[in-house]
Amino acid sequence: MSGERNARDGIRDQFRGFIIGNFAVPGGEAGLKNDASLLEEGIMDSTGVLDLVMFIEETFGIQVKDEELTPENLDSVDRLVTFVEKRTGR
Amino acid sequence: MAFHKDILRIDCEAETKRICSFIRQQVGDMRKAGAVVGLSGGIDSALSSELCVRALGKEKVLGLLLPEKESSPVSAEYAGKHARKMGIACETFDITATLDAFGVYDRRDSVIRAVFPDYDASWKSKISLPADLLSRDALSFFTLKVQDAAGNVRSARLKNEGLRGIVAATNVKQRTRMVSLYYYAEKENRLVCGTTNKSEAVQGFYVKYGDGGVDIEPLQHLYKNQVYQLAEHLGVIREIIERAPSPDTYSFVVTDEEFYFRMPYGTLDLLLYAWENRVPVGEVGAVMDLTEEQVKRAFRDFTSKQNATRYFGGAPPTLDSPN
Repeated sequence: MSGERNARDGIRDQFRGFIIGNFAVPGGEAGLKNDASLLEEGIMDSTGVLDLVMFIEETFGIQVKDEELTPENLDSVDRLVTFVEKRTGR
Repeated sequence: MAFHKDILRIDCEAETKRICSFIRQQVGDMRKAGAVVGLSGGIDSALSSELCVRALGKEKVLGLLLPEKESSPVSAEYAGKHARKMGIACETFDITATLDAFGVYDRRDSVIRAVFPDYDASWKSKISLPADLLSRDALSFFTLKVQDAAGNVRSARLKNEGLRGIVAATNVKQRTRMVSLYYYAEKENRLVCGTTNKSEAVQGFYVKYGDGGVDIEPLQHLYKNQVYQLAEHLGVIREIIERAPSPDTYSFVVTDEEFYFRMPYGTLDLLLYAWENRVPVGEVGAVMDLTEEQVKRAFRDFTSKQNATRYFGGAPPTLDSPN
Protein backbone atom coordinates (compact mmCIF):
# COMPACT_ATOMS: atom_id res chain seq x y z
CA MET A 1 0.00 0.00 0.00
CA SER A 2 2.76 2.32 1.04
CA GLY A 3 4.72 1.40 -2.13
CA GLU A 4 1.71 2.13 -4.37
CA ARG A 5 1.23 5.47 -2.74
CA ASN A 6 4.89 6.30 -3.22
CA ALA A 7 4.80 5.45 -6.92
CA ARG A 8 1.79 7.71 -7.37
CA ASP A 9 3.52 10.44 -5.41
CA GLY A 10 6.56 10.11 -7.67
CA ILE A 11 4.49 10.54 -10.84
CA ARG A 12 2.69 13.49 -9.25
CA ASP A 13 6.01 15.13 -8.37
CA GLN A 14 7.20 14.73 -11.95
CA PHE A 15 4.08 16.41 -13.30
CA ARG A 16 4.20 19.18 -10.72
CA GLY A 17 7.84 19.83 -11.57
CA PHE A 18 7.10 19.96 -15.28
CA ILE A 19 4.08 22.25 -14.90
CA ILE A 20 5.80 24.67 -12.52
CA GLY A 21 8.92 24.73 -14.67
CA ASN A 22 7.18 25.25 -17.98
CA PHE A 23 3.87 27.04 -17.39
CA ALA A 24 3.04 30.26 -15.60
CA VAL A 25 1.47 29.11 -12.34
CA PRO A 26 0.04 31.93 -10.22
CA GLY A 27 1.52 31.57 -6.76
CA GLY A 28 4.16 29.07 -7.92
CA GLU A 29 4.48 25.68 -6.20
CA ALA A 30 1.98 26.58 -3.47
CA GLY A 31 -0.54 27.86 -6.02
CA LEU A 32 -0.74 24.57 -7.95
CA LYS A 33 -3.62 22.52 -6.58
CA ASN A 34 -3.56 18.88 -7.64
CA ASP A 35 -7.27 18.81 -8.46
CA ALA A 36 -7.48 22.23 -10.18
CA SER A 37 -8.30 22.51 -13.90
CA LEU A 38 -5.15 23.61 -15.69
CA LEU A 39 -7.24 25.14 -18.48
CA GLU A 40 -9.76 26.99 -16.35
CA GLU A 41 -7.06 28.32 -14.04
CA GLY A 42 -5.23 29.70 -17.09
CA ILE A 43 -2.15 27.57 -16.33
CA MET A 44 -2.14 25.60 -19.59
CA ASP A 45 -3.15 26.94 -23.00
CA SER A 46 -3.52 25.18 -26.34
CA THR A 47 0.21 25.16 -27.08
CA GLY A 48 0.90 24.01 -23.55
CA VAL A 49 -1.17 20.90 -24.23
CA LEU A 50 1.31 19.83 -26.91
CA ASP A 51 4.29 20.41 -24.60
CA LEU A 52 2.57 18.37 -21.92
CA VAL A 53 1.90 15.50 -24.32
CA MET A 54 5.53 15.47 -25.40
CA PHE A 55 6.59 15.36 -21.74
CA ILE A 56 4.30 12.40 -21.07
CA GLU A 57 5.53 10.51 -24.11
CA GLU A 58 9.22 11.11 -23.38
CA THR A 59 9.06 10.66 -19.62
CA PHE A 60 6.79 7.64 -19.36
CA GLY A 61 7.49 6.02 -22.72
CA ILE A 62 3.89 5.91 -23.91
CA GLN A 63 2.30 7.10 -27.15
CA VAL A 64 -0.68 9.31 -26.37
CA LYS A 65 -3.43 8.71 -28.92
CA ASP A 66 -5.48 11.59 -30.37
CA GLU A 67 -8.64 10.31 -28.72
CA GLU A 68 -6.90 10.41 -25.35
CA LEU A 69 -6.27 14.16 -25.60
CA THR A 70 -9.24 15.06 -23.44
CA PRO A 71 -9.69 17.19 -20.33
CA GLU A 72 -10.80 14.03 -18.53
CA ASN A 73 -7.29 12.62 -18.96
CA LEU A 74 -5.06 15.68 -18.89
CA ASP A 75 -6.71 18.66 -17.20
CA SER A 76 -5.32 18.45 -13.65
CA VAL A 77 -2.33 16.98 -11.89
CA ASP A 78 -4.49 14.25 -10.36
CA ARG A 79 -6.00 13.35 -13.73
CA LEU A 80 -2.57 13.21 -15.33
CA VAL A 81 -1.32 10.85 -12.64
CA THR A 82 -4.35 8.59 -13.06
CA PHE A 83 -3.94 8.60 -16.84
CA VAL A 84 -0.27 7.61 -16.67
CA GLU A 85 -1.01 4.91 -14.10
CA LYS A 86 -3.73 3.50 -16.32
CA ARG A 87 -1.60 3.58 -19.45
CA THR A 88 1.53 2.14 -17.85
CA GLY A 89 -0.35 -0.43 -15.77
CA ARG A 90 1.32 0.76 -12.59
CA MET B 1 -30.97 41.96 -20.05
CA ALA B 2 -32.10 38.32 -20.09
CA PHE B 3 -30.13 36.04 -22.41
CA HIS B 4 -32.07 34.92 -25.49
CA LYS B 5 -31.38 33.61 -28.97
CA ASP B 6 -31.87 36.98 -30.67
CA ILE B 7 -29.71 38.93 -28.27
CA LEU B 8 -27.20 39.74 -31.03
CA ARG B 9 -29.78 41.39 -33.32
CA ILE B 10 -28.79 44.98 -34.08
CA ASP B 11 -30.44 48.04 -35.59
CA CYS B 12 -28.44 47.98 -38.81
CA GLU B 13 -29.13 51.54 -39.92
CA ALA B 14 -28.25 53.00 -36.54
CA GLU B 15 -25.13 50.85 -36.33
CA THR B 16 -24.07 51.89 -39.82
CA LYS B 17 -24.34 55.56 -38.86
CA ARG B 18 -22.40 54.98 -35.65
CA ILE B 19 -19.54 53.19 -37.44
CA CYS B 20 -19.43 55.70 -40.29
CA SER B 21 -19.19 58.53 -37.79
CA PHE B 22 -16.28 56.68 -36.14
CA ILE B 23 -14.48 56.24 -39.46
CA ARG B 24 -14.91 59.91 -40.42
CA GLN B 25 -13.71 60.98 -36.99
CA GLN B 26 -10.59 58.81 -37.20
CA VAL B 27 -9.72 59.92 -40.72
CA GLY B 28 -10.07 63.53 -39.58
CA ASP B 29 -8.11 63.05 -36.35
CA MET B 30 -5.27 61.33 -38.21
CA ARG B 31 -5.39 64.00 -40.95
CA LYS B 32 -5.71 61.40 -43.66
CA ALA B 33 -7.18 61.81 -47.11
CA GLY B 34 -9.02 58.50 -47.12
CA ALA B 35 -8.76 54.79 -46.40
CA VAL B 36 -7.23 51.67 -47.89
CA VAL B 37 -8.77 48.26 -47.25
CA GLY B 38 -7.27 44.88 -48.09
CA LEU B 39 -9.98 42.99 -49.96
CA SER B 40 -9.80 39.23 -49.37
CA GLY B 41 -13.06 38.23 -51.00
CA GLY B 42 -14.45 37.50 -47.53
CA ILE B 43 -17.30 39.03 -45.60
CA ASP B 44 -15.29 41.14 -43.14
CA SER B 45 -13.23 43.08 -45.65
CA ALA B 46 -16.33 43.48 -47.83
CA LEU B 47 -18.19 45.07 -44.92
CA SER B 48 -15.27 47.26 -43.85
CA SER B 49 -14.96 48.65 -47.36
CA GLU B 50 -18.73 49.22 -47.64
CA LEU B 51 -18.65 51.19 -44.41
CA CYS B 52 -15.66 53.24 -45.58
CA VAL B 53 -17.51 54.08 -48.78
CA ARG B 54 -20.58 55.14 -46.79
CA ALA B 55 -18.44 57.19 -44.42
CA LEU B 56 -16.02 58.84 -46.82
CA GLY B 57 -17.40 58.47 -50.35
CA LYS B 58 -16.15 56.00 -52.95
CA GLU B 59 -13.48 58.40 -54.26
CA LYS B 60 -11.67 58.26 -50.92
CA VAL B 61 -11.52 54.48 -50.60
CA LEU B 62 -8.88 52.26 -52.21
CA GLY B 63 -9.32 48.49 -52.32
CA LEU B 64 -6.17 46.39 -52.44
CA LEU B 65 -6.17 42.78 -53.63
CA LEU B 66 -3.12 40.87 -52.36
CA PRO B 67 -3.35 37.32 -53.71
CA GLU B 68 -0.61 34.67 -53.63
CA LYS B 69 -0.30 31.37 -55.43
CA GLU B 70 -2.17 29.42 -52.75
CA SER B 71 -5.14 31.81 -52.49
CA SER B 72 -8.45 30.45 -53.66
CA PRO B 73 -9.12 31.77 -57.19
CA VAL B 74 -12.60 32.91 -56.18
CA SER B 75 -11.13 35.25 -53.56
CA ALA B 76 -9.86 37.72 -56.14
CA GLU B 77 -12.92 37.17 -58.34
CA TYR B 78 -15.37 38.01 -55.53
CA ALA B 79 -13.26 40.87 -54.18
CA GLY B 80 -13.02 42.42 -57.64
CA LYS B 81 -16.74 42.03 -58.29
CA HIS B 82 -17.59 43.63 -54.96
CA ALA B 83 -15.16 46.51 -55.54
CA ARG B 84 -16.79 47.19 -58.91
CA LYS B 85 -20.22 47.13 -57.28
CA MET B 86 -19.05 49.77 -54.77
CA GLY B 87 -17.36 51.79 -57.54
CA ILE B 88 -14.04 52.11 -55.71
CA ALA B 89 -10.56 52.19 -57.20
CA CYS B 90 -8.82 48.87 -56.85
CA GLU B 91 -5.24 47.68 -57.23
CA THR B 92 -3.87 44.15 -57.32
CA PHE B 93 -0.41 43.20 -56.07
CA ASP B 94 0.50 39.52 -56.17
CA ILE B 95 2.65 38.80 -53.12
CA THR B 96 3.87 35.36 -54.27
CA ALA B 97 7.32 36.60 -55.31
CA THR B 98 7.76 38.41 -51.99
CA LEU B 99 6.80 35.27 -50.07
CA ASP B 100 9.09 33.18 -52.25
CA ALA B 101 11.99 35.55 -51.64
CA PHE B 102 11.48 35.19 -47.91
CA GLY B 103 11.36 31.42 -48.30
CA VAL B 104 7.85 31.11 -46.87
CA TYR B 105 6.82 28.13 -48.99
CA ASP B 106 10.19 26.34 -48.66
CA ARG B 107 10.38 26.82 -44.91
CA ARG B 108 6.85 25.57 -44.39
CA ASP B 109 7.30 22.64 -46.78
CA SER B 110 10.45 21.50 -45.01
CA VAL B 111 8.43 21.23 -41.79
CA ILE B 112 5.74 19.26 -43.59
CA ARG B 113 8.32 16.93 -45.15
CA ALA B 114 9.64 16.10 -41.69
CA VAL B 115 6.20 14.58 -41.06
CA PHE B 116 5.39 13.34 -44.59
CA PRO B 117 8.73 12.76 -46.40
CA ASP B 118 7.15 12.27 -49.84
CA TYR B 119 5.28 15.61 -49.69
CA ASP B 120 6.05 17.85 -52.67
CA ALA B 121 4.85 21.16 -54.12
CA SER B 122 2.03 19.48 -56.04
CA TRP B 123 0.38 18.45 -52.77
CA LYS B 124 -1.98 20.59 -50.69
CA SER B 125 -1.74 21.14 -46.96
CA LYS B 126 -3.60 22.63 -44.03
CA ILE B 127 -3.75 22.48 -40.25
CA SER B 128 -6.94 22.11 -38.22
CA LEU B 129 -8.28 21.51 -34.71
CA PRO B 130 -10.51 18.59 -33.64
CA ALA B 131 -13.99 19.02 -35.12
CA ASP B 132 -17.24 19.74 -33.34
CA LEU B 133 -16.25 20.60 -29.79
CA LEU B 134 -19.84 20.49 -28.57
CA SER B 135 -20.36 16.87 -29.63
CA ARG B 136 -17.03 15.45 -28.53
CA ASP B 137 -14.79 16.78 -25.82
CA ALA B 138 -11.18 17.09 -26.93
CA LEU B 139 -8.38 19.48 -26.13
CA SER B 140 -7.23 21.86 -28.84
CA PHE B 141 -4.38 20.19 -30.71
CA PHE B 142 -3.48 20.81 -34.33
CA THR B 143 -3.48 18.12 -36.99
CA LEU B 144 -1.55 18.51 -40.24
CA LYS B 145 -3.53 17.27 -43.23
CA VAL B 146 -2.02 16.80 -46.68
CA GLN B 147 -3.59 15.83 -49.96
CA ASP B 148 -1.51 14.39 -52.78
CA ALA B 149 -2.09 15.01 -56.48
CA ALA B 150 -4.33 11.94 -56.70
CA GLY B 151 -6.57 13.29 -53.95
CA ASN B 152 -5.42 10.95 -51.18
CA VAL B 153 -5.56 12.60 -47.76
CA ARG B 154 -3.24 11.81 -44.86
CA SER B 155 -3.04 13.41 -41.45
CA ALA B 156 -0.80 13.49 -38.39
CA ARG B 157 -0.90 15.28 -35.07
CA LEU B 158 1.67 18.08 -34.93
CA LYS B 159 4.17 18.58 -32.17
CA ASN B 160 4.79 22.12 -31.00
CA GLU B 161 7.99 22.55 -32.99
CA GLY B 162 6.24 21.58 -36.22
CA LEU B 163 3.19 23.67 -35.46
CA ARG B 164 5.28 26.73 -34.72
CA GLY B 165 7.29 26.23 -37.90
CA ILE B 166 4.18 26.07 -40.08
CA VAL B 167 2.39 28.94 -38.33
CA ALA B 168 5.46 31.20 -38.34
CA ALA B 169 5.92 30.68 -42.08
CA THR B 170 2.25 31.04 -42.92
CA ASN B 171 1.82 34.21 -40.84
CA VAL B 172 4.31 35.92 -43.14
CA LYS B 173 1.47 36.00 -45.66
CA GLN B 174 -0.66 38.29 -43.47
CA ARG B 175 2.37 40.31 -42.44
CA THR B 176 3.38 40.84 -46.06
CA ARG B 177 -0.14 42.05 -46.76
CA MET B 178 0.17 44.51 -43.88
CA VAL B 179 3.41 45.90 -45.34
CA SER B 180 1.75 46.27 -48.74
CA LEU B 181 -1.27 48.05 -47.27
CA TYR B 182 0.97 50.54 -45.47
CA TYR B 183 2.93 51.19 -48.64
CA TYR B 184 -0.22 52.36 -50.40
CA ALA B 185 -1.53 54.09 -47.27
CA GLU B 186 1.59 56.19 -46.79
CA LYS B 187 2.00 56.94 -50.47
CA GLU B 188 -1.53 58.31 -50.70
CA ASN B 189 -1.99 59.63 -47.13
CA ARG B 190 -4.69 57.09 -46.28
CA LEU B 191 -5.30 55.17 -43.09
CA VAL B 192 -5.36 51.37 -43.12
CA CYS B 193 -8.81 50.14 -42.22
CA GLY B 194 -8.91 46.79 -40.42
CA THR B 195 -11.37 43.93 -40.82
CA THR B 196 -11.16 41.97 -37.56
CA ASN B 197 -14.49 41.27 -35.86
CA LYS B 198 -15.19 40.59 -32.20
CA SER B 199 -15.52 36.81 -32.55
CA GLU B 200 -11.98 36.78 -33.93
CA ALA B 201 -10.48 39.46 -31.69
CA VAL B 202 -11.65 37.95 -28.39
CA GLN B 203 -10.11 34.57 -29.21
CA GLY B 204 -6.96 35.88 -30.88
CA PHE B 205 -7.88 34.72 -34.37
CA TYR B 206 -5.67 37.19 -36.19
CA VAL B 207 -1.98 37.67 -36.82
CA LYS B 208 -0.13 40.15 -34.66
CA TYR B 209 1.37 42.80 -36.99
CA GLY B 210 -0.42 41.00 -39.83
CA ASP B 211 -4.14 41.53 -40.26
CA GLY B 212 -3.98 42.94 -36.71
CA GLY B 213 -1.61 45.69 -37.93
CA VAL B 214 -3.98 48.48 -38.94
CA ASP B 215 -4.95 52.05 -37.99
CA ILE B 216 -8.61 51.47 -37.12
CA GLU B 217 -10.83 48.46 -36.44
CA PRO B 218 -14.42 49.47 -37.23
CA LEU B 219 -15.78 45.90 -36.85
CA GLN B 220 -14.07 44.87 -33.66
CA HIS B 221 -17.16 45.45 -31.51
CA LEU B 222 -19.32 43.24 -33.78
CA TYR B 223 -19.78 39.48 -33.50
CA LYS B 224 -19.58 37.63 -36.80
CA ASN B 225 -23.36 37.21 -36.74
CA GLN B 226 -23.67 41.01 -36.61
CA VAL B 227 -21.16 41.38 -39.45
CA TYR B 228 -23.53 39.29 -41.56
CA GLN B 229 -26.53 41.42 -40.54
CA LEU B 230 -24.76 44.61 -41.60
CA ALA B 231 -23.39 43.04 -44.78
CA GLU B 232 -26.93 42.09 -45.82
CA HIS B 233 -28.18 45.56 -44.93
CA LEU B 234 -25.48 47.31 -46.96
CA GLY B 235 -25.78 45.06 -50.01
CA VAL B 236 -22.57 43.04 -49.99
CA ILE B 237 -22.74 40.68 -52.97
CA ARG B 238 -24.38 37.26 -52.48
CA GLU B 239 -21.25 35.29 -53.45
CA ILE B 240 -19.38 36.76 -50.50
CA ILE B 241 -22.26 36.45 -48.03
CA GLU B 242 -22.80 32.80 -48.94
CA ARG B 243 -19.11 31.83 -48.95
CA ALA B 244 -17.87 29.76 -45.98
CA PRO B 245 -15.45 31.94 -43.98
CA SER B 246 -11.85 30.79 -44.40
CA PRO B 247 -8.40 32.15 -43.54
CA ASP B 248 -7.47 31.38 -47.19
CA THR B 249 -3.81 30.94 -46.31
CA TYR B 250 -3.51 27.17 -46.84
CA SER B 251 -3.52 25.40 -50.18
CA PHE B 252 -5.86 22.68 -48.86
CA VAL B 253 -9.17 24.46 -48.27
CA VAL B 254 -9.92 25.00 -44.58
CA THR B 255 -12.80 26.91 -42.99
CA ASP B 256 -12.54 29.15 -39.92
CA GLU B 257 -14.54 26.51 -38.06
CA GLU B 258 -12.10 23.70 -38.90
CA PHE B 259 -9.04 25.84 -38.44
CA TYR B 260 -9.83 27.47 -35.13
CA PHE B 261 -13.34 27.81 -33.75
CA ARG B 262 -14.54 24.17 -33.64
CA MET B 263 -18.21 25.15 -33.94
CA PRO B 264 -20.39 27.14 -36.37
CA TYR B 265 -20.36 30.92 -36.01
CA GLY B 266 -24.07 31.03 -35.11
CA THR B 267 -23.46 28.89 -32.03
CA LEU B 268 -20.07 30.36 -31.31
CA ASP B 269 -21.29 33.95 -31.17
CA LEU B 270 -24.08 33.27 -28.68
CA LEU B 271 -21.78 31.24 -26.45
CA LEU B 272 -19.09 33.89 -26.68
CA TYR B 273 -21.57 36.60 -25.72
CA ALA B 274 -22.71 34.50 -22.75
CA TRP B 275 -19.12 33.83 -21.67
CA GLU B 276 -18.13 37.48 -21.89
CA ASN B 277 -21.23 38.63 -20.04
CA ARG B 278 -21.04 35.90 -17.39
CA VAL B 279 -24.48 34.51 -18.17
CA PRO B 280 -25.07 31.52 -15.85
CA VAL B 281 -24.23 28.20 -17.51
CA GLY B 282 -27.67 26.74 -16.78
CA GLU B 283 -29.42 29.70 -18.39
CA VAL B 284 -27.21 29.47 -21.50
CA GLY B 285 -27.89 25.75 -21.83
CA ALA B 286 -31.65 26.22 -21.50
CA VAL B 287 -31.78 28.94 -24.17
CA MET B 288 -29.45 27.17 -26.61
CA ASP B 289 -30.67 23.62 -25.97
CA LEU B 290 -27.23 22.51 -24.77
CA THR B 291 -26.19 20.60 -21.67
CA GLU B 292 -24.30 22.40 -18.93
CA GLU B 293 -21.28 20.23 -19.78
CA GLN B 294 -21.35 21.44 -23.41
CA VAL B 295 -21.55 25.08 -22.34
CA LYS B 296 -18.69 24.62 -19.86
CA ARG B 297 -16.63 22.93 -22.57
CA ALA B 298 -17.09 25.92 -24.88
CA PHE B 299 -16.26 28.38 -22.09
CA ARG B 300 -13.12 26.43 -21.24
CA ASP B 301 -12.03 26.57 -24.88
CA PHE B 302 -12.61 30.34 -25.00
CA THR B 303 -10.53 30.82 -21.85
CA SER B 304 -7.72 28.68 -23.20
CA LYS B 305 -7.57 30.54 -26.51
CA GLN B 306 -7.76 33.92 -24.85
CA ASN B 307 -4.91 32.97 -22.53
CA ALA B 308 -2.80 31.70 -25.42
CA THR B 309 -3.19 34.90 -27.43
CA ARG B 310 -3.48 37.53 -24.71
CA TYR B 311 -0.18 39.16 -25.68
CA PHE B 312 -1.38 39.84 -29.25
CA GLY B 313 -3.22 43.03 -28.39
CA GLY B 314 -2.27 46.37 -26.93
CA ALA B 315 0.95 48.30 -27.03
CA PRO B 316 4.17 46.44 -26.12
CA PRO B 317 4.78 46.58 -22.35
CA THR B 318 7.30 49.18 -21.25
CA LEU B 319 8.81 50.17 -17.92
CA ASP B 320 6.23 52.94 -17.80
CA SER B 321 3.32 50.50 -18.36
CA PRO B 322 0.89 49.96 -15.48
CA ASN B 323 1.09 46.40 -14.11
